[in-house]
Amino acid sequence: MSFQIEITTPEKLVASKQADYAEIPGKDGYMGILPGHAALLSELGAGELKVTSAGKTESFTVTGGYLEVRDNVVRVLADSVS
Amino acid sequence: MPSLIDIRRRVRSVKNTQQITKAMKLVSAAKLRKAQEKAVAARPYATMLKQILANVAEAASQNPDGAGNALLAVRPEKRILIVVITADSGLAGGFNANLIKMAHQFAIAHKEAELTFELIGKKGVNYFKKRYTTIAGTHTDKFRNVKLEDAEAIANTISGRFERGEIDAVYMFSNEFKTAMTPNLVKQRILPIELPKASGSVDYLYEQKPEELLGSLLPRYVKLLVYRAFLESVAAEHAARMTAMTAATSNASDVIDRLTLEMNRVRQASITREIIEIVSGAAALG
Repeated sequence: MSFQIEITTPEKLVASKQADYAEIPGKDGYMGILPGHAALLSELGAGELKVTSAGKTESFTVTGGYLEVRDNVVRVLADSVS
Repeated sequence: MPSLIDIRRRVRSVKNTQQITKAMKLVSAAKLRKAQEKAVAARPYATMLKQILANVAEAASQNPDGAGNALLAVRPEKRILIVVITADSGLAGGFNANLIKMAHQFAIAHKEAELTFELIGKKGVNYFKKRYTTIAGTHTDKFRNVKLEDAEAIANTISGRFERGEIDAVYMFSNEFKTAMTPNLVKQRILPIELPKASGSVDYLYEQKPEELLGSLLPRYVKLLVYRAFLESVAAEHAARMTAMTAATSNASDVIDRLTLEMNRVRQASITREIIEIVSGAAALG
């Protein structure tokens, strides 16, 4: 089982893919997201965002924004991603 | 009757103009495509942020002791800030003129209020500077490459002034890209913020308090509105210029056709005259 993750900035959609696990820098600490996570809304902190799919891990650096989890879709609205 | 040389000269000049309008048309078409791509790329974030804001606002409103946010405060509109987003250059049909007219009419209708202006784009700056002294800020040369930071800086100044109570409402006038043929004029109240409606509330786990989230979401929403207006305006500008230049190019073709016809007529008349002269000269000798 996997979930959909969408990473966006005000300028563009950075990534949209299926993932098995995501490690996301929340404002109050890192959060791990697995498939089937309950609906969640949080502010993002600055840090490294890691997305694992099929054993491969991709990482992005984000600098604040929001995280929404709903219906097995994780939406990351970052201020900037590099 | 104009001489042959005069007409030739005019044809040449119209041809030169046509070359310029044709080049501008092609350039605008290329720029339009880029601007459109940028506007489309910005869409997912905007949709998601709106959704989240709607949900958070609803959750926050259920908590009675959450103090209202400063950016939502509705006051009697005694001091109004008018934001006008025009282009930096003309030659785009009614793109600037229509928008300026709309904003100016709004200003006249609210002349009992204390008006200030935040102007983006040379055309609007030139127009309103001559008519009003209360210009809060002018921004030019922001459209060649639309940057998020530019829009954010402007949004921050506006939000700051609103929060400090220096202004009671902010209206933004801009062009929106609807179709390539006609830009759509938009008047939008950006402050106090009109919250988007939730399409069905979701029971989220809130990592932070909804009120706290709302406090940080609202300034972002204002920034987003300004940034989107920038992107839309640029796309609409290039579309309007492309349309105007297409019309200008085809008008130039018409003028060239007419002049060529006239030129041939003049040429034929002069040849006929010469033949008559020769014939009658020969007749007189014989």
